[in-house]
Amino acid sequence: MTFKDLREFLAILEEEGQLIRIEDEVMPEPDLSAIGRAAPDMENGPGVFINKVKGYKYSVVLNVHGSWQNHALMLGLPKETSVKEQFFALDKAWSAYPIKPVWVENAPVKEVKITGGINLFEVLPLFRVNKYDGGFYISKALIVSQDPDDPDNFEKQNAGTYRLQVKGKDLLGILPLPFHDIAIHLKKAEERNQPLPIAICLGNDPVLNFMSSTPIEYFQSEYDFAGAIKGEPIELTKSEVGNLDIPARSEIVLEGYIIPKERKIEGPFGEFPGSYSGARLMPEVRIHTITHRINPIFENLYLGIPWTEIDYLMALNTCIPLYRQLKRDFPEVVAVNAIYTHGMGVIVSTKSRLGGYGKAVAMRLLSTPHGMPYSKIVIIVDEFVDPFNLQQVMWALTTRVRVDKDVVTIPYCPGMPLDPSSEPAGMHTKLIIDATTPVAPDHCRETELIEIPEKTDFWMNYLKNLRQRKGGTNDAMSQM
Amino acid sequence: MMLCPRCDSKTVELMTKAPVDDAWEVYLCNTCCFSWRSTEGDEIKDPEKYDKRFKINPAEVS
Ligand SMILES: [Zn+2]
Repeated sequence: MTFKDLREFLAILEEEGQLIRIEDEVMPEPDLSAIGRAAPDMENGPGVFINKVKGYKYSVVLNVHGSWQNHALMLGLPKETSVKEQFFALDKAWSAYPIKPVWVENAPVKEVKITGGINLFEVLPLFRVNKYDGGFYISKALIVSQDPDDPDNFEKQNAGTYRLQVKGKDLLGILPLPFHDIAIHLKKAEERNQPLPIAICLGNDPVLNFMSSTPIEYFQSEYDFAGAIKGEPIELTKSEVGNLDIPARSEIVLEGYIIPKERKIEGPFGEFPGSYSGARLMPEVRIHTITHRINPIFENLYLGIPWTEIDYLMALNTCIPLYRQLKRDFPEVVAVNAIYTHGMGVIVSTKSRLGGYGKAVAMRLLSTPHGMPYSKIVIIVDEFVDPFNLQQVMWALTTRVRVDKDVVTIPYCPGMPLDPSSEPAGMHTKLIIDATTPVAPDHCRETELIEIPEKTDFWMNYLKNLRQRKGGTNDAMSQM
Repeated sequence: MMLCPRCDSKTVELMTKAPVDDAWEVYLCNTCCFSWRSTEGDEIKDPEKYDKRFKINPAEVS
């Protein structure tokens, strides 16, 4: 089973029982956000396709990434694949980077072109995502921009996800976070007092949204990574204006430019830590062109108190870069679980080379580009503990931690302003908990671990088969 | 006269009508950029009822 775009992926979800269709007409508020909240709270959270929204022409889909089952299907794996197995599969796919995209003629996203009289509401069933948001938000866009100093450099072209507030029929507010690539592009454009052309791509191949939410390096291309994960090139085409490379099979692309050196009120917006951001002065985007497929599907994202869809969308893609950066200097590291609130909480499993090794691994994590501002609570466990299995992690905490020497706080480090506990905003006190078993020259009381009985694997399979034959019960255990 | 529910200013304009069925209108405040739909509840549309924690004084936003 393979897919090349959102429509094909929705067909796979449906076949696997991971998509629900709503045929009754729903109200934009509060129904759409309520559906977005409910879907990931369900067991094996399904995607939800809403055919008819009151007052609008087209359909909405929510929660496409919002469960480990959907996430596994996105990676081309069986839906019951465990989180740890998905982690290792993703790491393996990462090594295929780069798989270069191909440019195609007759891109489906060009089926309909609108170049005048833009009204976003004619094409997008826009809605308020959370009650006290400052307006209607586009929360699942892949936004393409180029480095104004080097516009032909494909790798420096950025495809990132930034929230967009609807502020007019053809006007959007944008939040380019200062440590993200688009902010670099905007700064260079504004130094020349030039508008920055951007393309806002909606309803994409789910792997593209996954990559546009991934913290990769400035000189790396999200498209090349998406190709690596899929094992085949992404199909691209050119924007109508500005020579940007956009996915050929997206549902909708809004083309426009960031207005230089003007700032207007944006926000608040219910953000991924589960609380509202403030309202601040931010740049605005003027839309001049829309291209879309016939009967486009508007994919948007609900986010609330974790876990909601966004927590799946920026989970394993946060883990892999951290894992690889650690692994380079600390080859004993086995796995990194950074799926909690975009890596604000991290659990690393590692074998200890020498006494104090766990703390050294933690300090390296806290000095990686992502770990430095984001990671706040770091737990280090032994190599035989599965960091994705919180029962095992709690065992390590309860039986391995000597609180007097294994719990360390480091005050006044770089922090993440969207974390409401960051005070002043942008500062963190870091917490390291070393839950590894001490090795020399450190020492601990002599204890011996209980071994796993012989033939456990045999009996595990035996019992699984027996259960499957009896009840046909789904054996997919969520490992969250 | 319609006031912005969030900042109480008078700079309110009709942003758009529903593309289908005249189902609703969306309004926009040109001072604080707040927008709302005519079918939303009074706690969103009515300046008196809008939650005080989210009221905005545009002069104070930086
Ligand atoms: Zn206002």
